[in-house]
Amino acid sequence: MAENEKIIQQFTSGEYKEGFVTDVEQEFIPKGLNEEIVRMISARKEEPEWLLEFRLDALRKWQNMPQPDWAHLDMPEIDFQDIIYFAAPKKDRDRPKEIDPKLAETFDKLGIPLKERDVLAGVVAVDAVFDSVSVTTTFRKTLAEKGIIFCSFSEAVKEHPDLVRRYLASVVPASDNYFAALNSAVFSDGSFCYIPKGVRCPMELSSYFRINAKGTGQFERTLIVADEGSYVSYMEGCTAPMRDEQQLHAAVVEIVVEKDADVKYSTVQNWYPGDADGKGGILNLVTKRGICKGSGSHLSWTQVETGSAITWKYPSTILKGDFSSSEFYSVAVTNNHQQADTGTKMIHLGRGTKSRIVSKGISAGQSQNSYRGLVRMGRNALNAKNFSQCDSLLIGCRCGAHTFPVIQSHQPSATVEHEATTSKISEDQLFYCNQRGIGPEEAVGLIVNGYAREVLSRLPMEFAVEAQKLLQVSLEGSVG
Amino acid sequence: MGHGKYIDPFAGRSFVTNVPQEDNCHSERSEESPVYQVQAGETLNLQFVVLPGESRDIDVSIDLIGPGAEAHIKALYLCGADEKVRFRIVMHHRAPGCHSTQMIKGIAGGSGEVHFDGTIVVAPDAQQTEAYQENHNIVLTDQARVETRPQLEIYADDVKCSHGATVGQLNADELFYMRSRGIPEAEARTLQMLSFLSPVIPQGREQEVETAVRSL
Repeated sequence: MAENEKIIQQFTSGEYKEGFVTDVEQEFIPKGLNEEIVRMISARKEEPEWLLEFRLDALRKWQNMPQPDWAHLDMPEIDFQDIIYFAAPKKDRDRPKEIDPKLAETFDKLGIPLKERDVLAGVVAVDAVFDSVSVTTTFRKTLAEKGIIFCSFSEAVKEHPDLVRRYLASVVPASDNYFAALNSAVFSDGSFCYIPKGVRCPMELSSYFRINAKGTGQFERTLIVADEGSYVSYMEGCTAPMRDEQQLHAAVVEIVVEKDADVKYSTVQNWYPGDADGKGGILNLVTKRGICKGSGSHLSWTQVETGSAITWKYPSTILKGDFSSSEFYSVAVTNNHQQADTGTKMIHLGRGTKSRIVSKGISAGQSQNSYRGLVRMGRNALNAKNFSQCDSLLIGCRCGAHTFPVIQSHQPSATVEHEATTSKISEDQLFYCNQRGIGPEEAVGLIVNGYAREVLSRLPMEFAVEAQKLLQVSLEGSVG
Repeated sequence: MGHGKYIDPFAGRSFVTNVPQEDNCHSERSEESPVYQVQAGETLNLQFVVLPGESRDIDVSIDLIGPGAEAHIKALYLCGADEKVRFRIVMHHRAPGCHSTQMIKGIAGGSGEVHFDGTIVVAPDAQQTEAYQENHNIVLTDQARVETRPQLEIYADDVKCSHGATVGQLNADELFYMRSRGIPEAEARTLQMLSFLSPVIPQGREQEVETAVRSL
């Protein structure tokens, strides 16, 4: 019996490669959430008065908000007083100049090159966030020469308070929703990025988030500002150790795109999804929103969602500038007991605005996968256009795939098109592959990759390879 | 429990056709929002027409409870002034091998408001389901509003389901084509609207619909 369990253990742990725990000495603040804790976080980060006020205001708002339950999710009760809201690697604090070798090892294992010389030809600048603290940001010098600011959020508060103050909560106000308010009160770190006028960022910017400590939540905040005529491609990745209890991740991402600027935001989300019986895993409750402020601006979201026990995430764009455009490309994979409720909102306010939504959902095992979206054509959105396509692929008869789009049109010259299909991998397709010597698992991988190609091809090169592998791993054991 | 009550909201000029006889389908819940239960091998055809000048709130649930049951809904609505038309349709596939189609089309002018809320639910054991839903809208004026929510909730894997929804305006190229061939603008627009609606105009009632379209 014990032998059996061991084999099962080994087998299930083989599924999630990033499930290791790094043994670094860490510093915590006490569990729970109240004004005192918020003051403590703020004091620890040596924040200015205005930011503390912002946090406290958000906390008060959060305390008066009910937890939303409209999503198609079976959400466990979250005890917000049982979470540690701040955890930092201790040694790192003592020696902020040099990175803890164990930490470096962690990020190495994850394939995140922290040492600049490790970066292949220097194409990616990384900001790595370990639990609540941003550990290191690479390539700052090269970027600074161009006038680009790319640093951790705490540093930005200290070094560029005017910029942060001007843009913080300008896209996602603290009272926007329950989890955004929570994040605004307790956010610990994250990335800040500012691209000045007319600058094309020479490399991909990337932040990497990892939850390591037990019983903690991660609440990072990302703020990206692309000034007139600039361009940046930003990537975000996430992992967490395997634990039996569920951990909370409530992030906020804000993107401001000024006139003629272009921002490309890509995510590969691979938080720990829980084991095959649905035990543990990350509750990924994220608010992401961008605003195309100036005319001709462009924002593109690309996401590959394979991890998390529960995903609640709707990257959205407010198309305010005339002739601005936005795209949303998404692949969401759920297996075992995972649940995902994800999609996008496209709010067309300006004239001639355009948006395109391509969402591919894949559900296997006993998972539930929903697309939820909103396309709104405002009164002044003359000749605005939207096209949405949501496809669902079902693998196995115990999973579910759902589509909940909302289309609102207040402008007769606007055009909105939406289509959705649901299907399964047909026996014919599998038979065809088997017949040519391709095993069932491999065949499913092949078909799924083909199905998701439209989205995968939008990812930056470094991510595309990783994403393809992830798709394969996530669906392991789902056939048969 | 007759369907007379159900037809009652259509006492005006709008109407619903093909209301099934009590012996093969029966309604439950409330008189205004019946649940039609369709048994094995049966087919339910419903057709709604909402003509201008009348606000309507139409709420229909269809349960396909027998294997191989079929349901087909067609609906047409025209708003010319400040009417509010609301459709709520739930198509519940509870048995395997059932087939359903929905084609809902309408034109919103004046300061009309249209809401469409259509759900297809496929139960866990309802394999080999085929369910299709379409909702197309044309908006004629700045004040008219359209909101559409086509929804799919699918718990079985061997299914073919799709929905589509569009909101748009009359095609300017088509209009130009007709006008360049001597068709007056008003007539050309009427022709465009009639051709848009043609798949959902009930047989034998073409005249009524055409008169209504001309009045928009």
